Amino acid sequence: MINRTTTAALAAAVAAAALMSSGANAQTANTDKEKCYGISMAGKNDCAATGNNSCAGQSKADYDAKAWKYVAKGSCATMEVTLKDGMKRKGTLMPM
Amino acid sequence: MTVDRLPRAGAGLKPEHQRHILEARPDVGWFEVHAENYMGAGGPPHHSLERIRALYPLSVHGVGLSIGSADGMAPGHLARLKTVVDRYQPFTVSEHLAWSTHDGIFLNDLLPLPYTEATLSLVARHVDEVQTTLGRRILIENPSTYLRFDGEEMPETDFLRALARRSGCGLLLDINNVVVSAANHGFDPRAYLASFPHEHVGEIHLAGHAVLEKDGETLLVDTHDRTISLEVWRLFREVIARHGRRPTLIEWDVEVPAWQDVEGEVRQAQSLLQSARGLDARAA
Amino acid sequence: MPAQPEGTGLADLQRRFGLALLQGPLVIPHGIRRDTQPTRGRRFGVYRNNVKASLAAALAARFPVVARLVDEDFFTAMALVFIERHPPRSPVLAEYGAAFAEFLEGFEPAADLPYLPDIARLEWARHVAFHSADASPVDIGRLAALPPEGLGSVKLGLHPAMAIIASSWPIVSIWSTNTYDLTSQAPAADWTGETALVTRPHLEVLLHRLPPGTDRLVTALASGVALGQAAEAASRACQDFDLAIALSTLFAAGAVATLSEGSSR
Repeated sequence: MINRTTTAALAAAVAAAALMSSGANAQTANTDKEKCYGISMAGKNDCAATGNNSCAGQSKADYDAKAWKYVAKGSCATMEVTLKDGMKRKGTLMPM
Repeated sequence: MTVDRLPRAGAGLKPEHQRHILEARPDVGWFEVHAENYMGAGGPPHHSLERIRALYPLSVHGVGLSIGSADGMAPGHLARLKTVVDRYQPFTVSEHLAWSTHDGIFLNDLLPLPYTEATLSLVARHVDEVQTTLGRRILIENPSTYLRFDGEEMPETDFLRALARRSGCGLLLDINNVVVSAANHGFDPRAYLASFPHEHVGEIHLAGHAVLEKDGETLLVDTHDRTISLEVWRLFREVIARHGRRPTLIEWDVEVPAWQDVEGEVRQAQSLLQSARGLDARAA
Repeated sequence: MPAQPEGTGLADLQRRFGLALLQGPLVIPHGIRRDTQPTRGRRFGVYRNNVKASLAAALAARFPVVARLVDEDFFTAMALVFIERHPPRSPVLAEYGAAFAEFLEGFEPAADLPYLPDIARLEWARHVAFHSADASPVDIGRLAALPPEGLGSVKLGLHPAMAIIASSWPIVSIWSTNTYDLTSQAPAADWTGETALVTRPHLEVLLHRLPPGTDRLVTALASGVALGQAAEAASRACQDFDLAIALSTLFAAGAVATLSEGSSR
């Protein structure tokens, strides 16, 4: 009886689903709109050199000493992040 | 005969500016896009570009075809370029005198070619293939380069002249690239421009470059991340006065500023085009 | 360099040049002119930097939450390793990064963040959805308007932009917190797995947390079976599965693009 999805059960579920959808939408994680048409997702084929002499072109060996240890210091649950309001807070992972 | 209309200045279209452009509809002549950014199936990029195309002329500038690859252009890429060109019907299609793909690996930069007779035949053959597939003439852009090769047989300007003659392609003159390469290889940009085959030029590019100093040595890098240098503006003015005006693009690809800053440079280019107009016959 | 047949010479030069661009230590390929200052190393270094920095920047833009979780410097260093091992095979950079999540699985220095690969999967799915084919989502009203006896044999076609990422980690919550930062959150105490639903019904990429068993329903629908059979499969696989909630979530998210009535009604 649990496994057998009858016509009646199906119809009831569809009707209930339609009713739910007419009210508040189902739970969504989007609390903000993508205001700029997802700029950061654009194609990224640019006609330019990056032009800086930054670390980007260096050997990864330069990082082995310091950068790789970064994560080992602690997970992001205790990582400090700068929030959009400029405040420094501990990064957290709880549902919003 | 077509009426000789005043060539307009345009801007590279960046995603950051698209919404503003669609709302404010600034008075710029045209926009240029990089073909590779519009090779996806759908989504916001095409949605925006369709709307911008309905309002402005468009130029399609390829950055990934790898016309100078010894083992052939990027496989399948020409067909995708054709899809973009067919869809958006640009007034100009251009690519670079460069290579970027070898052994199936895409090295995301416009890499330099040795200017030899053998390279010339290879590039001319590829350009011919592109033009045949697209059913139209394309423009090939002079690159910024940071090194030269052993055994080169001709200067870049001779190479480009021969390429245009052999393949029937036009040229895209990037004046910033001239300044960058001239500084990096120690030649005079005016001498380069004096020997450039201007009769084949269909479009001009202007952009900013970085000056890197280290241990007393200087390299100029074609960064497109800042305002156009005074030297580039001067050479642009000289070129259009001497060789005629062309549609001119302001390119800004990295550290893209507010639209108003880009528009300011477009206006500057437009006013230089305007003031040079007595020099060639113009019908109303 | 000895003279070579020209065609071979160029192919050879490009092979050496390409290898030297990507590999770790700076090696200047043969054939570069030596008679000018600055040094050949600096000149060739500009190309190396261009290639690596532009690809690293493209990855950072594509995986912003991964980048935030590990910090910018770490991300760049990690991206350079990825670029060396998995250079792009397509000139369309929007297609670059598909292998990043799998790379992270085996990337020892990031092992302290075991959820990183699933966050990368989620971000890749969002990126793919952004560029995927367009389709209009079906309104649930159309399903509800069908005769009840036909519902079991209805086939639901999924939207081309839709993707599901099931994870043992709270990936939707981690992604949301590290993307929006609207309010301060309590420290993570209860780590439960979450299943993410990525959709793009119109222009905007949406992210939803899927109710239990809904991913099983979607998997069954994607394999082409009708609604009745798919619902049974999901109920069998997950005792908390609730068909009404599942359908409501999927339709509200725009995950369904076609609806075709079966023949057996």
